[in-house]
This record gives sequence, structure tokens and C-alpha cells, in this order.
Amino acid sequence: MHNEASVILKQKIGQLISSLLEENTLSFLKEHSQIIDEYLQTSFETSMVGPSIDLAKNPYAFIALGGYGRQEQCVYSDVDLLFLFKHSVPGEAESLIREIVYPLWDIGLEVGYATRSIKECLSLARKDFEVLTSLLDARFICGMSPLYSELMQQLRKKIIKKDRKKIIDRLVESSNERHIRFGDSTYRLEPNLKEGQGGLRDYHAILWLARIEFKLKQPRDLEYYGRLSHEEFKDLNDALSFIWNVRNRLHLLAGRKCDQLHFENQILLAEKFKFKKTNGQQPVERFLGRLHSRMDFIKQQHQMFLYELGYTAGRKPRKLPEKQTNVNGIEVIRDMLNYTSSEEILNSPDLLLSIFEESMRLKIPLSAEAKRMAKEFGYLIDTDFRNSASNVKAFERILVTPAPTFNVLKEMLSTGFLVRFIPEYKIIVNRIQYDEYHLYPVDKHLLRAVQIIKNFAANDDATDPLCVDLYKELKSKKLLLWAALLHDIGKGDLAVDHSQGGATIARKILSEKGFKLRDIETVSFLIERHLFLIKTATRRDIHDEETAIFCARTIKEIDRLKMLYLLTVADSMATGPKAWNDWMQTLLRDLFFKVLGVLEKGELASREAVKVVEKKKYQVLSQASSPESKKNLEELFNVFSPRYLLYANTNQIMEDIKLYESLGENDIVWNITKSDDANTRIVKICAKDRPGLFSKISGIFTLNNIDIIDAQIFTWRNQIALDIFNVKPPPDQLFEDECWERAGKHLQAALSGDLDLAKTLSEKMAVYRSFKTLELKRPHRIVIDNDSSSFFTIVEVFTYDFLGLLFNITDALFRCKLDIWVAKIATKADQVVDVFYVRDFDGQKVDSPDQVAAIKAAIEKTLPAAGSN
Amino acid sequence: MKKIEAIIKPFKLDDVKEALNEIGIQGMTISEVKGYGRQKGHKEIYRGAEYVVDFIPKIKIEIVVEAGRADEVVDKIREAANTGKIGDGKIFVFSVEQAIRVRTGEKGKDAI
Repeated sequence: MHNEASVILKQKIGQLISSLLEENTLSFLKEHSQIIDEYLQTSFETSMVGPSIDLAKNPYAFIALGGYGRQEQCVYSDVDLLFLFKHSVPGEAESLIREIVYPLWDIGLEVGYATRSIKECLSLARKDFEVLTSLLDARFICGMSPLYSELMQQLRKKIIKKDRKKIIDRLVESSNERHIRFGDSTYRLEPNLKEGQGGLRDYHAILWLARIEFKLKQPRDLEYYGRLSHEEFKDLNDALSFIWNVRNRLHLLAGRKCDQLHFENQILLAEKFKFKKTNGQQPVERFLGRLHSRMDFIKQQHQMFLYELGYTAGRKPRKLPEKQTNVNGIEVIRDMLNYTSSEEILNSPDLLLSIFEESMRLKIPLSAEAKRMAKEFGYLIDTDFRNSASNVKAFERILVTPAPTFNVLKEMLSTGFLVRFIPEYKIIVNRIQYDEYHLYPVDKHLLRAVQIIKNFAANDDATDPLCVDLYKELKSKKLLLWAALLHDIGKGDLAVDHSQGGATIARKILSEKGFKLRDIETVSFLIERHLFLIKTATRRDIHDEETAIFCARTIKEIDRLKMLYLLTVADSMATGPKAWNDWMQTLLRDLFFKVLGVLEKGELASREAVKVVEKKKYQVLSQASSPESKKNLEELFNVFSPRYLLYANTNQIMEDIKLYESLGENDIVWNITKSDDANTRIVKICAKDRPGLFSKISGIFTLNNIDIIDAQIFTWRNQIALDIFNVKPPPDQLFEDECWERAGKHLQAALSGDLDLAKTLSEKMAVYRSFKTLELKRPHRIVIDNDSSSFFTIVEVFTYDFLGLLFNITDALFRCKLDIWVAKIATKADQVVDVFYVRDFDGQKVDSPDQVAAIKAAIEKTLPAAGSN
Repeated sequence: MKKIEAIIKPFKLDDVKEALNEIGIQGMTISEVKGYGRQKGHKEIYRGAEYVVDFIPKIKIEIVVEAGRADEVVDKIREAANTGKIGDGKIFVFSVEQAIRVRTGEKGKDAI
């Protein structure tokens, strides 16, 4: 059913919406409400049903409720109507609705209506909180106006006055519930324009509270009653106007009422608002940046308003005694920090920082007025202020102090202090990265990372105990927190890699602030490498020892590794759930422990070690005869094991390369050199690695009466083993060469399986044991260590030297199906310390208790029994 | 149609993806998974607290192809994911009854 008035209404709404682009948003909302008012007024005047209700006996009025009552009618907002009757709802009401509301439905408006008497309104408002808030926004449209006044008076007298406290509590509580349900819009990728924190509802909540507390009649009263400054009221209207504008266009895009700003609409809206790409930022990123900053303003105002009423987010009213400050020029009023006068700030600008320090210390916020002054006097923060030693110290105290719930840095950001103190921050404020990975604008992300690290000090159940321990052990927590505060500062300039760019910017900031060179290096290192661990954990084989050694050599110090790990965890957690989950944590922690292991052992990754290896590489490469041989040498350096490079000097490396090159297609090559004093021989063996190689070689020496003094084995990445033995020459020195030749043949035979070494040797031993017995002063000791290395099981044998010892032990290891990767054999007089780095044939450590016991037993069996003399 | 499910080391994902792109495999499903086989978990002790890795992080790749291509895909994955060390992973091949594209309702090989 269409009537003339509704047709006109539809036309008018259509015209209004089509002129949306040119119109001022606030006047659009108002005009939109007004043309609906006009329809209702016309309908009231021309009503056929109306006259049948006796206006004198049962007066009635049309009232606008909710958003329509506030004259905030967006494109597809609901129209909430109340048909209010003085005494009771008459039977004719139904046909009145049919006459007036149905045409609105027919033209596609979402209309909600109620027909009630004053009494019914009041009793419902008592029971239903939503009815109460919608009545708070009630606005008279037409009919008997005294009725409206009576309703509002009674509402105030019988409900609001009586239950003021309870209603405000309920309001605060419902805001908290709403924030939990819809999240913080200022941080959301897909913010809810209405219900989220920082959304329009927060503004409505301010209005409701003001209506109850100060009898506010219209929004302008917020300024007239002195709750907001002129500037703030202007900013508030700007913020609301932008959000409503976005909401209007979102409604148009969606073709229906819709408040959640989904991804697919964000790019379209950024275009509609004609955002341009600048400074490397996408239009959509700039659009979201603007929206977030506006919603952040609303959120701040809402929090401030609650605080001034004596509420803090999520808590009941405070009943604690008033806190005190000793700083001249600052005072505590109603548990909020204030400046005693603006002259004080002019006289000592340091108060601009002191007030935040006091806020951190006392855990109370700045009053709205103090924030306002902090903003307005921000211009006093000049270079001297920024870089004065005492101000830097004060800032660091704020940075370092743990604060699980109270975040002063956020206030410092929102008042503009942080940008004044670190001007390089400006470019990243509200900078959005448009993807599904980064949930927060860069500045908020940085503060979140700082907050997460601070909370490692809190040590509650929810925190990773490893992070708690590591944070506790740090030598300098402040350097880590500076790094966290600045780690993405390079994101303002897309032309350079943000880690490197950020490190450069941080170096500049910190040297201006008078930091020691060493500290600057640490912070800039952390920033430059803040993605290093995550990248390594996901892109390199963390079960390869070389990966851990590479990381260790890059990081160099245990304290730096701990800081880098904590920064990585905090950065990932602050990015969002896609960047941090159990899977990633397992991977990253595993890498951390492996790198830590390498650094704690020290030998492979100390600063010294890195220098020594670099020097050797340089010296060897400089001897290359041609570019081609240089390339070959470089490739060889990549396959040498880290332990080998540390152990061998440049000449040895050159010799070993020659030996390796002579291997060619052979299974094994060796060379024998005399020591300078001719008392010992060095035997170097280069061979394709295979299990049992080492035990076979040592067995052959024993068989040929060659005594082993010490031995080292290295396994290179290309499956080549280099074994270096220091031995006593064969007893018969006249025929030494023949002896070596014979030993060489034995070795070939043992490797090919033609010679049964174990059997041959045990026959030989039987002869020796008969005339040589051992005196055991102390028992043997066999230690199997699975803690010192993440990659190897370390077997240490302390015993007394006897012929065939090395063969016995290594053969036992071979029979336990273990591969020897590194061996260090040392003999002092008759004392022997043999260390073997072993893994099973699959390349894994052997750490189950029964395996460990079996290895011990197998070695024990090959050693002479204690007290056998 | 065959479904190929491969468990690989995390750092091998890019290599495998590239190798499959080369032979024209366009789509795949990836998940971060944890588990163990012959490569066992391990534990680290730090300041008295034990950090146990029972299940080792791996990547699972799922691909559905026409039956005729399964061997080729398996070979490519094996080649790209192989490091020669323990924990390189496993590949499983299943028969697939039917595939349907949600948007269009296309079935069988048109849907993959």
C-alpha cells in the first residue's frame, strides 16, 4: 500500500542519497531524519484513523527513539518509533500503525515501532536496559508535546534519579562487554564502525552518561558544560563525521545496513574517498590509517569520560586512598594527574615528561586537561629537550618499568609526546600495512611489542617460562626495549629494506641521545636482524649443525642471542595470530637452543673463532693461481667442517687440499710425514666416509705395532673424512717404509673385507696380555653426554693406555651402530682421554636411557677389568 | 584422480612449490603440522625447566591430480624435498572418488 506521502518520502531520500558525495555528512544525517519527520508530521495531519482516537481523553504523540532520535540517520539505518499514549493503548492504535508504518515498510525502510502508554514505557525501561537507553535519546516529532515532556520528566524522576548509580554501572558494564565482543576497532583489520571499541557506540555511551549525570540535552552541551574544550569538540565532530561518512558509503556499497568494514569493501571505499598513493603507501592503507586515528580519538574520549566519572576500563569504581606526587608543578586531583598551571610548563618544560613518569609510578592517568596541555605545549620539546641526559633517563624508566595493565607509552603516543621526543616516529603513526598478516598499524605494533617484553617480567602463568628466564638474565633490559620500540621504524621508507633502514635511523636517534657506541651497536644489530631468527627457522635446516653455527657466528654473544630471541617472540606475538602459534614457537625455540648450545661451548663461534677462520680463508684464497682455482678453493671452504677450519693452520689446509685432490676416484689415500725431531709421525688419511672407517684404521696401526699418541677426525660436508693421527714410528726403523707399505695393504684388505681385523687382533692381543698386565689406580670412567651438543652424543672415555685401546673403543661404537663424526684422542703418559662425537646411522643423537646403558656396557667390555692385576 | 599427501621439512616448502609449478601444478593446500616418525623428538633443559619437542614441526602438502600424473608429481616432490637426512618426510597417494568445484558445480577433472 503506497500513499502519496510515502512516495514523496522515497523520492526525497533518493535525492538526498544521490547528493551524498557533495554533502556534509552531519547535515546529511540530520536532513535524512528531518524528511522522515516531515512524512510523519504529514501523516499525522492527514490521518484517517487519528481523529477516531479522542485526543482530549487519551492524548498521544509520535516520538523518535535511538539513532533516529539523535538525528543520526545513516543511509540504511533503522527508524525507531514510539507511539506514546497518555493512559492506555487504544484498539485503534493497530489501524493507526497500518496507516502510518506500513507505507514505510513498503518503500523499503527498516522500521521498528512500539505502542505504549507512559506507564508501560517506564516499567519496561526499568526492566530492559536497551529500552532505557533508547528512551534517553527520545525526540518529539508530532502530536501532544506535553506528553513527551511528561515521559521525560517521569523517566528522570522515577528511574534515573532513583537508580542513577546502578544505571551508570550497567552502562559501563555493557560497554565493556561490547568491547570484548566486538574488539578494539582501532586495532582491527576489519573494524566494526558501530559496536567496536572506538566505534559510534562509544560516542553514544558518552552521550547517555552525560544525559544521566549532567542533564545534557544536545551534543553541543559537552562543550558548553565544559566537559570538552572547543578544540576537542571540533575534533570529536570531525572524527564522527568521517566515521559516519564511511558508514554511509559502506551502506550504499553493501545495499543494506552494515557496520563491519570487511576487506573487500576497504579498497573500494579508499577509491571513493579519493585517497592517493603517496610515500609508497597504498590508498587503502592511508584510508585505514585515517579511520583508525579517528576511531582512536573516540576511544580515548570514551575512556577519559569514564575515568572522570570514577571508572576505569573493566573495573568497578575505585575506593583507594588518593595518591600523591612530589613533583612541583604537578598535582593529583580525583586520582588524576594535573598541571598546577600552564606557566609551570613554560618555566620548566621537563614537566611534559615528568607527568608521564609520575603516571607510570603512581599508575594513574593524566586528566583530560593535562593531556590537552601536553598536546598544546608539545612545541617546547626541542633538540635540547630530546637529547638531555636526564630526560633520556626518565624516558628509559618509563620504557623499562613493567606495567601489565597500565600503558603510559600509549598515552605518550596519543598526546603526540612520543613523536616530539622521537621525531622519526611521525612517519609510522597510523601507518597500515594492507595484508592479512599485519593486524596493527606500525606504531601500535611497536608499542605492543614493548608491552609484551615488559610483561615477560610479570611471570604469570600465561607467559612462556623460557622468555621469563631469559628476560631476567639480560644484562641490559633497556637496550632490548629500545630495540623493540624502534624495530620497525624503517617502515616509513619503502625504498630501502626496513630492517637495514631502521638500524640506520636507530643509530642516528641513539647517538643524538648520547648513547655509548657499544650500546648503539647492540640496538642497531637487534633492529637490523630482527627477522633473522624467524627467517632461519623457516628457511634453513635447523637440524643441521652448520645452521646453528652460522647463526651463532652472526650473533656472536649469548646476551645478544637472548635479546634477539625475545625481540623475535615479541615481534611475532605483536603482529598477530598468523605470525605466532605453537608451531612457530616450537621451531623458533628449537633453533634458539641449538644456537645457544654453540655459543655456550664457545669454541666454534666466538669472535676469535670467526676472525681466525676468516683470516685462514683469505690466506688460502690468496695463494690461488687462477680465478678458476680460486673458485674451486672457495667451494671447498664451504664443505670444510667448522671444527676443521679452526684446528688446521693455513699450511695444513693447503696440504690437505692436495691430499684431497689426489683422492680422485680412490677409496682412500694417505700421506706420512716425520715430525721435526723425527720422534713421531703424522699420518693423514683422506677417504670417502663410511661407518667403521676410524676403528679400522686404528686397528691396522695396532696390528702393525704402531702406537697412537693422539688422533683427530673431521667429517666434511661432502662425505669426506679426514683423519689425522700422531703416532710413534714403527719399532723397526730401518725398514720403516716397508712397514708402512704393509700397513697400507692391511688397510685395503680390511676395508674390502678380506681381512677380519677383530679376529686377527684378538689373536695378537692374547699374546700381549700374557706378559703385560695393567695396574689400575682408578677405575675407568665412561661418560655419555647428551646435553652439551644439540647435534651429537658425546662419548668420553677416561682410561689407561694399552695396545689396541683405540680400536677396541671405536669398534665397540661401530658395533653399537654409531657413526663417529669428530674424535679427539689424547694420551698423557699412560692416561688416556678419548672424546667421540657420535650419531646413529640415521644421523640422530642417541639419548634413550637403554641406548646409553648399552653403549657404556659395550665399551666397558673392551677395557681390562679393574683390579685385574 | 589421486590425492597426494606429502609431509616435508618446513624449509623445503619453497623448493617443492617451485618444482611443482615447473610441471604445471597450480593448486595445493598447505598446513603447518607436527609429528614424528623415525626422526624422534628431543628435549632441552634450560635453568632446570624442560622444553620437550615431542612432535617436530613439519609442513603437509595436499594435491589432487589426474591419476596419470600422480607418479610425476610424487617424483618431483621427492626430488625437491630430499636432503638425504632423517626427517625428510613421507608421501602418501590415495584414490579420490570425486571432486566438485563449489562455485560452478563442475565435477571430476574439470574441478581440479
